[in-house]
Amino acid sequence: MMFRQVLYTQWKWSAWAVVTTAVAAFTLPLVSVQRAGANTEATDVLYLLGDVAGVGYMYPFLAVAAGITIALLTWAPDHAGRHVYALSLPVPRWYYALLRYGAGTLLLVPTMLALWIGALVATSSATIPQGLDAYPTAIAFRFALATLFGFSMFFALAAGTVRTAIIALGVAPTAIIVTNQIIISFGGPNLVWTALEYLIRLPGPMELLFEPWMLINV
Amino acid sequence: MSNAIETRDLVYRAGTTFEITDLALNVPTGSIYGFLGPNGSGKTTTIRLLLGLLRPVRGRIQVVGRQVPREAHLMLARTGYVPERPHLYPTLTIDEAMRFHAAFYPTWDTKWADELLVTFRLDRSRRVGKMSKGETGKFMMLLALAQRPELLILDEPTDGLDPVVRREVLMALIEYVAERQATVFISSHLVHELERFCNWVGVLDNGRLVAELPMHAFKNGIKRLRVHHPPSTPGDTPFVLLSREAGDGLSAGEVWVVRGWQATMSQYFDGIGAQLREVVDLDLEEGFVEMLRTFRHPVEVHS
Repeated sequence: MMFRQVLYTQWKWSAWAVVTTAVAAFTLPLVSVQRAGANTEATDVLYLLGDVAGVGYMYPFLAVAAGITIALLTWAPDHAGRHVYALSLPVPRWYYALLRYGAGTLLLVPTMLALWIGALVATSSATIPQGLDAYPTAIAFRFALATLFGFSMFFALAAGTVRTAIIALGVAPTAIIVTNQIIISFGGPNLVWTALEYLIRLPGPMELLFEPWMLINV
Repeated sequence: MSNAIETRDLVYRAGTTFEITDLALNVPTGSIYGFLGPNGSGKTTTIRLLLGLLRPVRGRIQVVGRQVPREAHLMLARTGYVPERPHLYPTLTIDEAMRFHAAFYPTWDTKWADELLVTFRLDRSRRVGKMSKGETGKFMMLLALAQRPELLILDEPTDGLDPVVRREVLMALIEYVAERQATVFISSHLVHELERFCNWVGVLDNGRLVAELPMHAFKNGIKRLRVHHPPSTPGDTPFVLLSREAGDGLSAGEVWVVRGWQATMSQYFDGIGAQLREVVDLDLEEGFVEMLRTFRHPVEVHS
């Protein structure tokens, strides 16, 4: 009952974002294979892979954008009321946050499904040259994880105060970069770059965003 | 007598300039407790502490038998709250806001909520963000009442409402209290409004509790006395001397404002060689003003 009402309110103020990102997610795979199937010569295979790779960078962008948008919309009305209404409801704070998180996650499902369906339609309607394979379910699964990653990060950030967000997104990174530059100027290692490499390369937690996104590949 | 709200040694600081200091509130169960104080005295901060929305620096808070903030969610299930400024979701309609609110309260009374909608002439399809101030005030009271709470915490619930709406809101509140014997903790700076129906009063000034007493003691005990030939130092008085001021200049008298006055205390003046010429009742507002003035500037002769 509680979850249904929380989901309903969130749907009411996030519907436009859900529809927009779902349409974009459905369209994206179709765009990536529009030149597939003209013929199967070697040059066309390269063109096709080029197209798929070219559109590929849009997947993580869309996934994170969808996650961030829903996360921000999840908390926006509570922020506007300085959380007084939410905090005066008779549930523990962690439970209320869980209800909002669950509802936000559910509202991302249409976008995830739209991408999967789009990828299935795109790969089944295109003629895929010999030697190449389609990965609609794999890319949809990866997209879902990337969306959840963006949503979870910004859900946690947006749940706090504006001051906390400024510290997390502005002050802390600036302090880290400045410290890193000082270390480098004294001949030390580039710690920020090393840390980023660990984060974005296998088996780093952000690898799923930065490795190439190929709907069709060898 | 048990207390619906009890605080001990409560301390809270907001920034460097404002502090709630050693607050010890006792709100008897079943009472209608008026929480008085000028703007900025800390009434809203105190209420937010009672509800667990703020965390105290130290001290103990117990509301309807629950420790706050640790058991705040259990306390909130039995407490109706009308905030100073409404914080409902503006994009929802009245109907949607009611359904959302009801989902969190197992004691929600749908039938009575519908009756209150009719009584308050509220349109279910109207958006919360589009409501007038009067409609918002009535709707906030509806939400608090329809959850059938045993304690109502109301933060200036009628502030800014016109007299007709104010009357409707207070009537609904009084009917509920009469039916359920609920406790009401109502803050206001509109002293006359509380005078009519509160039976306990607490006065807060600058984060400190100035007084807490039954309303009849507050109303009846504060008097203005016209005293002729008063001594320079009054010595031990049987009443609490709140203030002394020089008279109107036509006589050698002074005007004393006292608390805890009883008729038999007039003998005191015979004993110190002074003459008591007149005893004037103060209404709640005058008593409130005198109490605050004395609290801020302890008794002295003003000329």
